[in-house]
Amino acid sequence: MEWKPEPPREQIALDSEPYDRWVSPIGASMAEFHRSQDGYLLRFLGQADFEVTPDDQEGDHRIVGWPVPGAKPEQIVNLYHNAIQPLLGNHTGGLFLHGSAVSVDGEDGAIAFLGLSRGGKTTLAGSFAAEGNPFITEDVIDLVKRDESYWLQPKRSKLRLFADSARFLLGEDTPIADKNTKQDVEAGDVLPFAREEVPLRQIYILGTDHRAPLQIRKLALQEALSALMPHAFLLDVEDKARLKGHFTRMADLVQDVDCFALDFTRDYAELPQVRAAVLASFAERCLKSD
Amino acid sequence: MQLTDRFTASDDVVAREVGGEMVLLDLNSGQYFGLDPVGMKVWESFQERPQTLAELGDVIEAAFDAERERIEADLLALAAQLKDQGLIVPSAD
Repeated sequence: MEWKPEPPREQIALDSEPYDRWVSPIGASMAEFHRSQDGYLLRFLGQADFEVTPDDQEGDHRIVGWPVPGAKPEQIVNLYHNAIQPLLGNHTGGLFLHGSAVSVDGEDGAIAFLGLSRGGKTTLAGSFAAEGNPFITEDVIDLVKRDESYWLQPKRSKLRLFADSARFLLGEDTPIADKNTKQDVEAGDVLPFAREEVPLRQIYILGTDHRAPLQIRKLALQEALSALMPHAFLLDVEDKARLKGHFTRMADLVQDVDCFALDFTRDYAELPQVRAAVLASFAERCLKSD
Repeated sequence: MQLTDRFTASDDVVAREVGGEMVLLDLNSGQYFGLDPVGMKVWESFQERPQTLAELGDVIEAAFDAERERIEADLLALAAQLKDQGLIVPSAD
C-alpha cells in the first residue's frame, strides 16, 4: 500500500452521512466513515482525511491522505499506520486487532492486550518493556497464521504515551512537548523493542472499569469470540461477505489462543502486581503445555 | 407457530461452532447468540435447506435420545425465539 500525504486541507462538511463512526469512551466522535464515488472517505476529526479507493489493476488500494492545516506531521503518519493499514488489512483478509503486545521469555511467545482507547494498553505494554519484556507493537496487533501458530508482527519501534505515562516509564525529568497529547517515545535501553515476529500465546482484554480490583478470568471460547470482535478494525461494517469472513477468522483465533478478561485499577502503583499476575498466568499455560 | 411452518436461516447471520456450541452473529444488529448442541443441530439443518419444524423434529429425534412430544415442544419454543430475533425467516418452499 503506497501512499504519501497531500498538502493540508480543511475538513469541509460532507454531503453524505457517515455509515460508521469511531466513538471515544466518553462518547465523542473520533472518526467518520463515508462512502465516496469509488471507495471510502475516512475522516479523522481534527486530524486528517483519507480517501481509500480499490485499485482494480493491482487488486490493491490507492490511498490519499490530507492532514488538516496545523496538524503535526507525525499525526497523519500515525493514523496511516494505526488505522488505515489495519483497516485495509482486515478488509483484504488479514487479521488485525486494536491492542499492544509484549514478548515474554525471549522467543517463547507474545502476550497481547486489547482494550478501548485510553484504556491503559500502551502504558501496560510499556511497563512490561521497562521490566525486560520487549514490546512488539503499541496499537496494532497484526497476526499471520503459519505452522499452527499466529505470528505477531513487529510494528513501529515507538510507544505513543501521554505525559504522565511517559514520565512514569522514563523518569520524572523526561522532556514533554505537549502535556495534552500523546507523544512518540522511541524504543531503547529503557523500553526495549522486539524486532522479530513472535507466536501469540495469550490475549488479555482490558476491562472498562478503571477502579476494578485486579482480576484475571479465562474466557470461554464463545465469550472470547464476542469479546474480541469489538477490537477488530472494520473498514466496511455493511459489507456482509467480508464480515462473515472476518468472523470466521476470529473464531479460528479464539480456538488456538487463550483469551482472558483482565481488570485492574488504573494506578501506576498497581502495575507491578498486574504484571506479576499476567506473567503467572502465562507461566501456568507453559506448565500445562510442557 | 405450528409444526407445519417452514423456515430457513437468515442470510444476515453468520454462525460458527466454537467449543462445542454454536455462536451466531446477527450482522444487522451486531448481537451475538449461543446455541447448545441441540440448537446447533437445528441451526445447521436450517442452513442446509428450508424445512418445517416437523421435518426438523425427525432430524432431532434421529440425533438425540428424547421423546417426540418433548422435541416438538422444544422446537416450537426455540423456533419462536430464533424468529423473534430475525435469525430465521419464513420460507415458502
